[in-house]
Amino acid sequence: MGKFLLLAFRNVFRNRRRTVMTLLMVGGGVAGLLMVGGFFAFMFHGLRESTIRNGLGHIQIFTAEHFQRDEVHVLDTGIGNWRQVAASVGSGPHVRGVAPRIEFYGMLSNGVKSSVFMGSAVQPDIESSMGFSPHLVSGQDLRTNSGGEVEALVGTGVAKSMSVKVGDGLTILAVTADGALNGIDVQIVGIVSTGIKDLDDRYLRITLPSAQRLLQTDRVTNLVVGLDNTDNTDIVAARLAPELGHFAQPMVLRKWIELAAYYNQVRTLFSGIFLFLGVIVFFMVLMASVNTLLMAMFERTREIGTMLAMGTPRSWIIALFMVEATLTGVFGAIAGVLIGNLLGVALNLSGLHLPPPPGTDVPMAFKVLHVPSLMIGSSVLVVLSLALASILPAIRASRLQIAEALAHV
Amino acid sequence: MNASNPIVQVESVTRKFPLDHSFVTALDHTSLVVEPGEFLAIAGPSGSGKSTLLNLIGCIDKPTSGRILIDGIDTGALSPARTTQLRREKIGFVFQTFNLIPVFTAAENVEFPLLVQGVSPAERRTRVAEALESVGLAARAHHRPDLLSGGERQRVAVARAIVHRPALVLADEPTANLDTRNATQLIELMRGLNHRLGLTFIFSTHDQRLLEHTPRIVRLTDGQVVSDTHETSGAAIPLADPAFTPAQIEGERHGQVLAARIS
Repeated sequence: MGKFLLLAFRNVFRNRRRTVMTLLMVGGGVAGLLMVGGFFAFMFHGLRESTIRNGLGHIQIFTAEHFQRDEVHVLDTGIGNWRQVAASVGSGPHVRGVAPRIEFYGMLSNGVKSSVFMGSAVQPDIESSMGFSPHLVSGQDLRTNSGGEVEALVGTGVAKSMSVKVGDGLTILAVTADGALNGIDVQIVGIVSTGIKDLDDRYLRITLPSAQRLLQTDRVTNLVVGLDNTDNTDIVAARLAPELGHFAQPMVLRKWIELAAYYNQVRTLFSGIFLFLGVIVFFMVLMASVNTLLMAMFERTREIGTMLAMGTPRSWIIALFMVEATLTGVFGAIAGVLIGNLLGVALNLSGLHLPPPPGTDVPMAFKVLHVPSLMIGSSVLVVLSLALASILPAIRASRLQIAEALAHV
Repeated sequence: MNASNPIVQVESVTRKFPLDHSFVTALDHTSLVVEPGEFLAIAGPSGSGKSTLLNLIGCIDKPTSGRILIDGIDTGALSPARTTQLRREKIGFVFQTFNLIPVFTAAENVEFPLLVQGVSPAERRTRVAEALESVGLAARAHHRPDLLSGGERQRVAVARAIVHRPALVLADEPTANLDTRNATQLIELMRGLNHRLGLTFIFSTHDQRLLEHTPRIVRLTDGQVVSDTHETSGAAIPLADPAFTPAQIEGERHGQVLAARIS
């Protein structure tokens, strides 16, 4: 077996120029996949973290009822004993904080013009401690103790639509938990950009006490759990899930990935694009390799005839060609991983940025992540491609008529 | 090897090759018997069927009709796998163009038939050393073919052909690509191995230098055996082909007809 592998290994390098070309082709395919896949991974990672830090959090806790029926009155499926739940959840490992939230909607008015808003009520100090600070384009964040003033943050789209700036006032109207209409005056302290235009056009954020006063309730919609690391989400979720069932008001949790609809859409789309690229690379390597391996087979016709004449089983000839192709794939994959990572490092150091993607107004950094699973996956893809490409030449080689092969010039 | 059997029996073998819409007859009802330990040349002009006959004896081609027995085994009745096994175990090949594996050293080339037979590494090392020693190339064992002269390459090929101790060595024009000195050395080498080891050699040639050292010569013309001469005494006697005259044979060699089978 050792000598057989040695023969295959040496055959890989017997025609150096052709081998270099093949390795470049295979390596180029792997490097290309690493660059594209690394960029997509960087994009997914950035989108994931921005989605989480924009307020989604790593885990959200709701009452079980919240997913079973629509609310008849505002917050009638909300969490009543939220302080107790937050204290319990917040005491566990990997948890940076637990932020109570009220998600609500209503109308806002500047006295001349009215508009619909999607509101979020938060406790600013907790949000800030969890790293969930909004991206302010002007002004400042909400304060937990703002005295008598009701402070508000609005999105860039809202500010533009309502012609307001920091320091201006607005009136917000919403339906209370009892079904009555209530309103409060707020002062704009900051203007926020989420990076998503549709959201910026409806964005409103006030403090939790202000919202509870507006909605006439002590409940919250949900609790947002922030963790020390996104990778710990599954561990913490697995620990919390059974605990949540023990409270008087049964509760359930949702992980960020279950709530991040936009992230999932983007990921599905780009994963499909990457899969398409992978298929193209696979077939490019396959077709080019079949051609190269057939050339190699024709060049070695007499040698194969000699081996067959000496009683070499035809299965050995098939194995020899397949091992040679597989070795070529392995060497090409190694070269591709090296090239891809070097290019990635160079790109990351270059500081290049791409124009803002659709729906956002923030230029995107053009960087790639070095993803081990991507390196392994791309390598396996091209090795598999080479191994498959060798089947036809290997079978043809093994079926050569010995006398004809020996007479081959 | 079965001592009671001829090592090769070719019985009325015909081999036709398709050409366009007809056939070319390379061998025409040819018969031949070779006893163990013989050193036999198949001579004849180009296209006479020498290589075809060697290919058929070597089980790398199949006759259109007739029967070939190697060491008493009817090769036509064998499955492809058994035919491969027969070649692997009983036959050694030497080719006109050496046909060494270029990425292997001389020793690795010689080792290859043993590798295919599944011989243990230790046994392989011993037998490779012996084979290379027997062809005078022990010192060149670790050289690749491109670093060897033509004569050395052919000696490596001979070592490869005998390393697995076959019953029969077939050599197709083994001196055709060698100069006189190397050709002479190769002939002496093959003859010496034939004497020392009792190996049966059958080779095709039209090299007069080789024929001068050959005790038995079978001559082919147009796919038929026209003479079969032995060196013991007398002149070769032409067989069927009138184009192949006694004078020609006499001019080449003194011999005696041992067998001639013309169909």
